Amino acid sequence: MGNMKTGNILLLTFTVIAACAWAFPLYWAIVTSIKPEADVVAGTIFLPETIDISSYVWALLETNIVRWYINSIGTSVLITVVVIMISMMCGYALSQIVFPGRRALFLIVLASFMVPSQALVVSQFILMHKFGMVDSWAGIILPQVIIPVVVIVYKQFFDSVPRELREAAKLDGCSEFQILFKLYLPLNWGITAALSIITFIMAWNNFLWPFLVITSEEMMTITVGITQVGDAFGVKYARDMAIAVMAAMPVAIAYLIFQRRVTQAIMLSSGIKG
Amino acid sequence: MSGVSLSNIKKAYGPINVIHDVNIKVEQGEFVVFVGPSGCGKSTLLRMIAGLEETTGGTIDIEGADVTHLEAAKRGVSMVFQSYALYPHLSVFDNMAFSMQIARRPKDEIKQKVDEAARILQLEDHLDRKPSQLSGGQRQRVAIGRAIVRQPKVFLFDEPLSNLDAELRVQMRMEIARLHNQIGATMIYVTHDQVEAMTLADKIVVLKSGSVQQIGSPLDLYDNPDNQFVAGFIGSPKMNFLKGIVNEPRVDGKITITLDDAPNTTFDITCGSATLNAGDAVTVGIRPENIGLEHDETVGPTVFLKPEFTEELGGVSYIHTQTKDGVRVTIERRSERNRVDQEDLQVTLPVRDLFVFDADGARLR
Ligand SMILES: Nc1ncnc2c1ncn2[C@@H]1O[C@H](COP(=O)(O)OP(=O)(O)OP(=O)(O)O)[C@@H](O)[C@H]1O
Ligand SMILES: [Mg+2]
Repeated sequence: MGNMKTGNILLLTFTVIAACAWAFPLYWAIVTSIKPEADVVAGTIFLPETIDISSYVWALLETNIVRWYINSIGTSVLITVVVIMISMMCGYALSQIVFPGRRALFLIVLASFMVPSQALVVSQFILMHKFGMVDSWAGIILPQVIIPVVVIVYKQFFDSVPRELREAAKLDGCSEFQILFKLYLPLNWGITAALSIITFIMAWNNFLWPFLVITSEEMMTITVGITQVGDAFGVKYARDMAIAVMAAMPVAIAYLIFQRRVTQAIMLSSGIKG
Repeated sequence: MSGVSLSNIKKAYGPINVIHDVNIKVEQGEFVVFVGPSGCGKSTLLRMIAGLEETTGGTIDIEGADVTHLEAAKRGVSMVFQSYALYPHLSVFDNMAFSMQIARRPKDEIKQKVDEAARILQLEDHLDRKPSQLSGGQRQRVAIGRAIVRQPKVFLFDEPLSNLDAELRVQMRMEIARLHNQIGATMIYVTHDQVEAMTLADKIVVLKSGSVQQIGSPLDLYDNPDNQFVAGFIGSPKMNFLKGIVNEPRVDGKITITLDDAPNTTFDITCGSATLNAGDAVTVGIRPENIGLEHDETVGPTVFLKPEFTEELGGVSYIHTQTKDGVRVTIERRSERNRVDQEDLQVTLPVRDLFVFDADGARLR
């Protein structure tokens, strides 16, 4: 009994320390962003002496951040919608419809998610260039709409819907589309929500691809945009941190609201990966 | 007009044939039960009628129209599944209304039909619930309701009661019988419970390994089984089978048989037109209720049996015994409780109640 208590306390201490170590940079970023630049350079103070939100005001007024927000939200939402629609239908076909080559197709999907997206960047860029989509939303979105792991998660969930339900729906006169949208989708709302959120976060956080495909400042997503700030105006720590905090804010909020679903989705996709 | 007619139906899964040349005619409004041991192809046959499985050969007619290659929804059949297969995310009302909503029927027509079905099945108070909030019996009633609202030409049931407890099963069995009387539609019902088959059916189809063994009314099958399989399958407890040998071939349509368990007695029995030779093996069958506990050699051969245990059910008791070769024999008693002690019994097998089968199981008498 006593032993277990000591063990618990040790474990607790350890997790608290780990959490602090992990959270400290976040804390530091937020604190830095609300200090006057002079205090930042002076360093060493853990709590701001004077709170100064001028860095945020500057970011809103003097940079293209509103534009970047719109680009990020727009492309991320569209990517999420398209990814979910495509993956759901693809997963349904792989799981429920018998057609020649189904197994081969599934293996291809499986194989394609072993390929790191960085390896495809060059050919994707050439493709987008030929389509005339460089520096446009379409250019950002198209290469990101194929996420094999989402297809695989959907297939697995659809596999576990009892066969009789599908047959009952067939007898009730449903077409395949109706079976998918009136039966399989409502039965899998939870996983759909989880996959949507994690896709949204992935799209929002993506840096490499938008960085390559976007050439003008108006078309940048926020992850690309914030890198421009430092370059153009020299190192101003408070401003850099303010804009970084603003870039992360929507995702952080989304995460806080949908915490449980996100964890579930990460566990699912990593469970399949591992 | 025939309700459903199956002609030369075959089914193969890859190289494996599971249904061989099945021919069944179901009259309109008839209640037909498919029975047979597990894996004999009852569900497969039913699912082919429903259009959920392709047929490998043969034709299926429903009310005169060839539906062999028609898709399931257009055949005018409803199916009730063993697992109920209710849509878990929809209310009871929506479960029953689903097919009409898909067909875009007007709202008041849907409501009227669902209410009607709910009334027949006493589900009016549960229309807003989700399936998970219902008991097993209620779920099964919703599944039946979902079948009713489509007003199908044929109802198909695949072991609809096997997930229910014994008492509820009896009650639902009566409800299904009542439903059949009430709406008079053609019904095909699959079960491996032969009590369900006997009580519900106008006509029973006995299947074994994908072939029809016999088709007939419940009492027909009981009194006049075509072969040893049907004789053993219909009736509970099962018919008893004892091995025997033909002593003398047919004289005046009679043969003389010696039972392995009663080597000292022979008996004459009238047998159809079968050709038998002396020394041929036969199987003699007798139902538990026909075995006489009195020892009376004038009505038939007598056999010694060693009682093992007795099941006392009140009105009836079953004495489970063994012959000296270890063949199990069940005896049914309707009176005289506690008559049996542990001593050996000498029982009589009345010749008029004996069935005789040849070595391949075909009925000789
Ligand atoms: N999809 C399939 N692929 C291969 N064989 C199958 C398939 N479905 C059924 N079978 C085989 O067909 C035979 C008949 O199966 P079926 O389900 O019709 O039996 P059943 O009479 O309904 O049995 P039960 O009483 O256990 O439900 C079985 O031997 C089974 O193994
Ligand atoms: Mg079955």
